[in-house]
Amino acid sequence: MSNFDLLIWLVPCLPLVAAVFTGIFGKPLLRGKSHWPVIISLAASFVASLILLWQVYQRASSEGAPGGLGYEYVTPPLWTWAAIDHAWADAVGPLRVDVVLRADPLTAVMLAMVTLVSLLVTIYAAGYMHGDKGYWRFFAYIALFVFSMTMLVSVSNFLLLYVFWEAVGVCSYLLIGFWFERPAAAAAGKKAFLVNRVGDFAFALGVFLIWTTFGTLDFHDPVAAGEPLPNGARYGVLGPGMLESGYAQLGTILPVICLLLFVGACGKSAQFPLHVWLPDAMEGPTPVSALIHAATMVTAGVYMVARCAPLFLTLDPWVGEIVAATGAFTAVMAAFIAITQTDLKRILAYSTISQLGFMFLGLGTMTVAGIVAGMFHLFTHAFFKALLFLGAGSVMHAMGNVIDIRQFGGLRRRLPITHATFLIGSLALAGIPPLAGFWSKDGILAAVYDKAHGQGDLADAVVFWALLIVALVTAMLTAFYTFRAFFRTFYGDERIPAEAHGHVHEPAAMDAPLLILALLAAVAGICLAAYSDFVARTPSLAFISRNTAHRAVENVHWPIAVASTAVALVGLAAAWVLYVAAPSVAGAAKRGMQAAFVYQLSLGKLFFDQVYYVLIVWPLKLAAFVFRFLDNFLVDGIVNAVGWLPAAVGAVLRPLQVGLIQFYALATMLGIVVLIGSLLWWY
Amino acid sequence: MDERSLLHGYLVVGALLFGIGLVGFLSRRNLIVMFLAAEMMLQGVSLSLVAWGRYHNDWGGQALVLFILAVAACEAAVAMALVLMLFQRKHNLDVAAWQTLREANQPDFVDEDLDVAPEDTPAWPKLTPAGIEPKREPEEEAYRAEV
Repeated sequence: MSNFDLLIWLVPCLPLVAAVFTGIFGKPLLRGKSHWPVIISLAASFVASLILLWQVYQRASSEGAPGGLGYEYVTPPLWTWAAIDHAWADAVGPLRVDVVLRADPLTAVMLAMVTLVSLLVTIYAAGYMHGDKGYWRFFAYIALFVFSMTMLVSVSNFLLLYVFWEAVGVCSYLLIGFWFERPAAAAAGKKAFLVNRVGDFAFALGVFLIWTTFGTLDFHDPVAAGEPLPNGARYGVLGPGMLESGYAQLGTILPVICLLLFVGACGKSAQFPLHVWLPDAMEGPTPVSALIHAATMVTAGVYMVARCAPLFLTLDPWVGEIVAATGAFTAVMAAFIAITQTDLKRILAYSTISQLGFMFLGLGTMTVAGIVAGMFHLFTHAFFKALLFLGAGSVMHAMGNVIDIRQFGGLRRRLPITHATFLIGSLALAGIPPLAGFWSKDGILAAVYDKAHGQGDLADAVVFWALLIVALVTAMLTAFYTFRAFFRTFYGDERIPAEAHGHVHEPAAMDAPLLILALLAAVAGICLAAYSDFVARTPSLAFISRNTAHRAVENVHWPIAVASTAVALVGLAAAWVLYVAAPSVAGAAKRGMQAAFVYQLSLGKLFFDQVYYVLIVWPLKLAAFVFRFLDNFLVDGIVNAVGWLPAAVGAVLRPLQVGLIQFYALATMLGIVVLIGSLLWWY
Repeated sequence: MDERSLLHGYLVVGALLFGIGLVGFLSRRNLIVMFLAAEMMLQGVSLSLVAWGRYHNDWGGQALVLFILAVAACEAAVAMALVLMLFQRKHNLDVAAWQTLREANQPDFVDEDLDVAPEDTPAWPKLTPAGIEPKREPEEEAYRAEV
């Protein structure tokens, strides 16, 4: 195994070692020091991912040019997980799954981002979770999660992707329900896992269809050139062979596969209608929300769609339009809900759903500019959303676990670093130049604009114009609710709730990650050109750039940039007016919205949970009641009857033992008579 | 009389002895009489053995019977020792007094009184006691109450 292979394998395996070590030795030995193995391994993993990024950058620069084939590398198989080559498999086709990791630009940037954010969040959590009785368990789960996520973005096979897709779901369940004694947290963990499962079902169907269509589940072509895979398929699903020939000959099965994969991505990335788990997931500790539900796990869906983008770019653009429309609808819906929420973490949760919708909007354009902009938004969103969540955690920690924005205010003097970093995060989220969020959001909007203009087909152009307007409205709402939260928390009269017990402070362990993330959120925008050029050298995206006309991403699209900044500033100004300058106007606006039922609709989260309860949960509970009755009555009855029978027979035979010796003697004699009689009968 | 009918005679007598012994063992309640019946069963078997030995001209029959007699004597000694031990616990030779070797929760086997009309108890005249009552030991009272 060469050094490069070792590097690729080190990035996910170091957190795995830390997870196992902390899992075994955390409770008896490490206890309060359980964060050290995890932090050390994550730091080493981050360094390894940076080296990997640098190596891939050098190789991609020399080997893959824009408009060329792109660069990818797969490690030799570590072992063969499944190989069904038997004769009976001829009926369905053999299957071979080798454990192989890949290194290409998309994977490399994802690994760098995941390990960096994980490292910063873990350092933060060492301060936040101090004194918790499950301290060692938390860090073991975090390390396990980072292993699963890094493997998810590194594997080169759909089945392995599904395995780690589920693994991050399991880690999310464990971490959301970390304080499992709280019923709300346990229920939230269950809800997250079950809603994810619905998406995973569709994803699994998509994987099955991929196997029957392509004959293989690998992304890459067989390693030995020209050697056919056992099923006779010569190319991997996303390998250069398939990309060269194009997917045109596959016919109508391909959009079906893409839609199923997209439903799976909706489940994981909390898009409509499978978004209901993410706000409830805020029951988990705040570092968990920052890491999993802002930066890493929810981006797995976006990563998967970006990876499979050549499949989505079929003969007709309607699959991409569905992706973009779902993303845009989710974005505006979540933004609408967020403007009335009073729980700071839930505002950020809906904000995450909304921004993920933006990413899918960018991916749905199915141009290389759009996809790269969507991925860049993923990259910057990870930084500023994690920053906002960690800031909210800092506020929570200072306010004694109170997170309702109606109960505190005016904290900018008591929590100065949190105030400054939260401001930077909010500006980035709102998309104000020159922070990072502006560049990524502007990239998405520009890609949508290009799609709206460049289409020969009127229907498609109308669709994308509508999506553009929806996106701009969402941007305004985003700025509004973000700064509403910011102003209500840090401005106004100073109010500290009683739970704070007077200890309003910012621990140092929690400040350093905030500052680093604020720096990244501020300046990450300058990487846009390098990032776009680098990620576009992934073979999947290089294929798309060859097959669609595209505008170079570096060119700033002035009308869109001005428009997006303008709507963001309008939103910010509205928040300023309502919450700082003239709070009485806020009351009037609220009453007006209540009169129009708009307020209740937004506060009630569009009543999704209630609708799902009536449609899905209540029938299942009824069915569960029926089955439990059947189980208790029928199945248990049969089992109990089986146990009752020997007791009954015993009760019949027991009076035979009366204790009278003569009775026993009589019984013996009768037995002998029967025995001799039967012997005489036979002979 | 030929050997066959002689054999039949002996076997019938042996069977009778065995049968009487069996019925006696099963129906008598006195421990010593039960043992007597068991010994009778043994004698019946011995008689059969001797008869078969004569019939087949095999001395083994009689030889085994000698063994049986010796063993029966030893067994009698052991049995008497056991009966003595049992009597010293209950002061009663009734086998129905020992019923505890059984399943739990089973009812005791007790003798029921016969449904007979009570006899008219004659009224015995009250006589003044004559003489001096002898002194009685309390330990003697315990086991000689009915003597």
